[in-house]
Amino acid sequence: MISRRPFLLAALGGISLLVAPLRFAAADTAPIDPAIVFVNRLADTAMQTMVGKGVPDSERAARFRTLFTTEVDLAEIGRRVLGRYWRSATPEQQQDFLRLFEDIVVLTWSTRFKDYGGDLRHTVIGLVDDGERGLTVTSRVERDRQQPITLQWRLKRTEGGFRVVDLIVEGSSMAVTYQSEYASVIRANGDRIDGLLSALRNKVADLQSSSAAPRN
Amino acid sequence: MTARRPSHSTAARIAGSIIALGLLAGCATPPPDSDPEAVAEWEQVNDPLEPMNREIFAFNDFLDTYAIRPAAEGYRTVVPQFGRDRIHDALQNLKSPLVFANDLLQGEPDRAVQTFFRAAFNTTFGLLGFIDIATEAGIPAHEEDFGQTLAVWGVGEGPYLVLPLFGPSNPRDAFGTAVEWYGDPVDIVMVNMGYEWAPWARSGVSGLDRRERLIDTLDDVKRTSLDYYASLRSLYRQNRASEIANGHDRSPLTPAPSSSGAAVR
Repeated sequence: MISRRPFLLAALGGISLLVAPLRFAAADTAPIDPAIVFVNRLADTAMQTMVGKGVPDSERAARFRTLFTTEVDLAEIGRRVLGRYWRSATPEQQQDFLRLFEDIVVLTWSTRFKDYGGDLRHTVIGLVDDGERGLTVTSRVERDRQQPITLQWRLKRTEGGFRVVDLIVEGSSMAVTYQSEYASVIRANGDRIDGLLSALRNKVADLQSSSAAPRN
Repeated sequence: MTARRPSHSTAARIAGSIIALGLLAGCATPPPDSDPEAVAEWEQVNDPLEPMNREIFAFNDFLDTYAIRPAAEGYRTVVPQFGRDRIHDALQNLKSPLVFANDLLQGEPDRAVQTFFRAAFNTTFGLLGFIDIATEAGIPAHEEDFGQTLAVWGVGEGPYLVLPLFGPSNPRDAFGTAVEWYGDPVDIVMVNMGYEWAPWARSGVSGLDRRERLIDTLDDVKRTSLDYYASLRSLYRQNRASEIANGHDRSPLTPAPSSSGAAVR
């Protein structure tokens, strides 16, 4: 019994040693990188839009569309998502695809955390500047009672600042996932891009009707 | 330790014959060599058994829609969040001997020490693991499994495989799961104490816990995707690659150079 206390102290000491390197120094007051400012602002706006209770779905979708079309380079993501099929697509198919892709992304993400009433806390924990190839900002989203989620924001430089070209959630890239899924749909339709376009059209109609239906 | 879970070899044999049947049912046809981009895509997707996988996936989806997901929904309705969190914490704690072993086998002593202290604190002060006080104290949980250990050792994943009931996997991870089923220290102790049912009960509750936590995510993927199968395949494989790397693939990202990324909210 007597020997218990020193053991406990030693264990606590051991733990604080372990934990210490995991915590970053918060005292650093160097100027904040503009990429981090950009991601923080974007994440705050996105989370306010997503978690905002009592906002009608149409309004939520409209806000998301504004956010996506200004801060996210959907055209570039869309081109990457279509991959090798982009070049074989006609200009009309390309335009059709980008329009539908925008709809899908907006409809998917604007309702994603809709029913999540809790707190979302977003903290930037890292930044890598790959120069020509863009930047990656790593951040963590903490939620009530759940494991934190690691996000990586792939950014590219533009004249006025930055635009998002991919979002990687817990190691899963949004662009890679869409690319893999859409390639599979195109193959299932005999390598026809029109097959993907009509599947996208149906899905958009589906999502619109389900979000228009009264809920709560 | 010997001859435990005799009925499981039957299950393995049944699973084996299902897979054998699936193999007979046919493989996907690879694209011709004349189309290098299609070949590259084929290799990247890594799913030569797609027709069989899709059938097992459809079976699993049926089972999930009519049995597993409703059970998880029931669990969510009956047990309040607080209770589910306690059960989850206890299950995580029971896994710590396995996680610890895998930490060591992967040559990650720091993580092994973390796992050890987590288990020590949670089992004692955390009342048999029902309260995860170690996370509060600043030692975050992490998961490891034998499939990941094999990956660290350089074993390739093999082709994508959908297992009946268990879902997305591959030969390496399926083997890892089997090894853990037979080698879990907590289960071995329970069986040797005469509680033959304990590992089964634990597996059942674990499955319920896992499915309940995935209800919203999977509903969302299913609702918004054009091809649920292809989406899950891609998500599973990317997520697995990232788990295996333990975030080491992001090592150049941490910590924020020069700027005070950490201090920014």
